[in-house]
Amino acid sequence: MKVEMKVDYYPGDPGEFVRVDESKCTGCGECAKFCTRNVWVQDGKIFRPKNLKACVECGACWNVCEFDAVIFEEPKGGTGVRFEYG
Amino acid sequence: MTEVEYDVIIVGAGCAGPAAAKKAAELGLKTLLLEKSRTPGEKNVSGTCLNMAALVDPDLHYLMKGPVEREITEMHSYMITPERTTMFRETPSEGLILLSIRRDHFDAWHTEEARKAGAEVRLATTVVDIIEENDAIKGVITDKGEKLRAKVIIDAAGVNSIVGRKAGLIPKRKGTDMILYVTVNVHLGEKLVTERFGNSIYYFLAPQTQYKTWPWAFPKKDVVTFGTGGYLDDNLFKDGINSVNDYMQNLLDLPVIKEKIKGGKIASWGLHLEFDEALERRTRDGLILTGEAGGFVIPFLGEGMVEAFLTGIYAAQTAAKAIEANDVSAAFLEEHFMEYYTGNVFLQSFRYVADFNKKSILSMPDEEIAAMMQNVCIGGGFISNAIHYNWMKGADEDDMSLVQEAKDFYEFIQPYRQVGSESVEIYKKMRAEK
Ligand SMILES: Cc1cc2nc3c(=O)[nH]c(=O)nc-3n(C[C@H](O)[C@H](O)[C@H](O)COP(=O)(O)OP(=O)(O)OC[C@H]3O[C@@H](n4cnc5c(N)ncnc54)[C@H](O)[C@@H]3O)c2cc1C
Ligand code: SF4
Ligand code: SF4
Repeated sequence: MKVEMKVDYYPGDPGEFVRVDESKCTGCGECAKFCTRNVWVQDGKIFRPKNLKACVECGACWNVCEFDAVIFEEPKGGTGVRFEYG
Repeated sequence: MTEVEYDVIIVGAGCAGPAAAKKAAELGLKTLLLEKSRTPGEKNVSGTCLNMAALVDPDLHYLMKGPVEREITEMHSYMITPERTTMFRETPSEGLILLSIRRDHFDAWHTEEARKAGAEVRLATTVVDIIEENDAIKGVITDKGEKLRAKVIIDAAGVNSIVGRKAGLIPKRKGTDMILYVTVNVHLGEKLVTERFGNSIYYFLAPQTQYKTWPWAFPKKDVVTFGTGGYLDDNLFKDGINSVNDYMQNLLDLPVIKEKIKGGKIASWGLHLEFDEALERRTRDGLILTGEAGGFVIPFLGEGMVEAFLTGIYAAQTAAKAIEANDVSAAFLEEHFMEYYTGNVFLQSFRYVADFNKKSILSMPDEEIAAMMQNVCIGGGFISNAIHYNWMKGADEDDMSLVQEAKDFYEFIQPYRQVGSESVEIYKKMRAEK
């Protein structure tokens, strides 16, 4: 059986709840390394959460960024990832 | 922008939140419970097994009336090396050891119980910030821009809680304090789950399937939840492992598992962090952190739902006391909250066991962990390990303080060890009342 990242999302725009603080990002790449959903992508000298649609709100990127450059907020009420079974 | 005053506002309707809201409402407090999902249990939450030894606590009996997927009576552990597979079967108590649940059903039921008790519940409402005045937490701000005020805020928003982070109590965490878990739910249908997994949970220790944690299989009604992962540090990814999904793939490819999930289908996938140390401070003026937000999980065992229920209830009781005394200072909240917490034998004994076993696991290579696991299985579980290890080491090294520590702990947990057939009786009674 092949591991398949089967996730659902609520309809509706969650907003830009994960962002990069450009002035603090050093381009170290830790966020991308620990993001299982490949949300973070290199853009010149820094990284950006370009594929935010795929985010499952785990918080790994925020925890591993040592430069306080990951802004990790909350999706709007009733939007974002939806898990089944728990 | 409206400004309403509540006695307590509880953020998050996972495990701790509804428990806190129900208790607060029962104590006559004007209570508001806020949850960002449309149905509680559908956001990034996880956990399958409710520990019966904890549910025997009278405060938690009502939870046995909730939607249960499976009644778990056994545990199997597999040690797998390239040379051989060893399987241990354990039936640690006479009765039920765990109740298996699915969070999207259980949390929704629990939230309804809180509502029935008199709490106001608002779903699809995200808390985005706190209201802070003169160094005290006075309320929360929602994604709709509403400012909601309360005498006490109870943070039950889980491991990434924005409340605890904004209040400066939850720091960034890596290394051996934080575990990244991946889960998959494999759908087999009720009949096949029963035939192949029965009413047992399973732990696996095999090369390349984990990093310093225990992969597991927990059967629900028609799916089996598999989980694995590892500490969020630089060694999480190496030797061909580039993502926690690689650990999961290796786990599902183990011959013992492959056989059991044949014909099944991945129904859902999940990714979660779990913090596994206590936070330094769990309170500020007007704020109490409960459940995973407060670091109330059992390190190493990956168990936190019952700790969340209990700390939720204790926070509500503490809030009631504080409001009555007209003192919501951090000092007052901390003193009374911790008094309830340290008074619970289950919580204290499990914390000890978990700290002890975590320490061993962090200091040992995989082969030694397997050997420890083997001893644990033969000796009757992690509790025995925590007692035996110090006892034997003390005897070996002529260090009476270690023997004394083992003996003190043994005596301390006697009330907990007597839980057995009693839990089944209470369970039957609660199901009948349901
Ligand atoms: C993979 C995995 C397996 C586990 N297995 C078990 C197990 O078998 N048994 C066990 O006892 N424990 C288990 N645990 C631990 C257990 O899941 C947690 O300890 C427990 O869920 C913590 O409960 P909580 O109420 O503190 O937080 P959560 O259950 O995380 O609930 C938090 C709630 O708050 C909501 N929320 C968050 N932020 C906001 C916001 N800003 N505004 C509004 N709402 C918000 C969330 O949507 C959620 O509903 C497991 C953990 C993991 C990661
Ligand atoms: S971890 Fe932080 S500093 Fe490093 S690339 Fe990512 S955002 Fe930038
Ligand atoms: S929260 Fe998790 S999934 Fe989302 S961007 Fe960060 S690491 Fe990736």
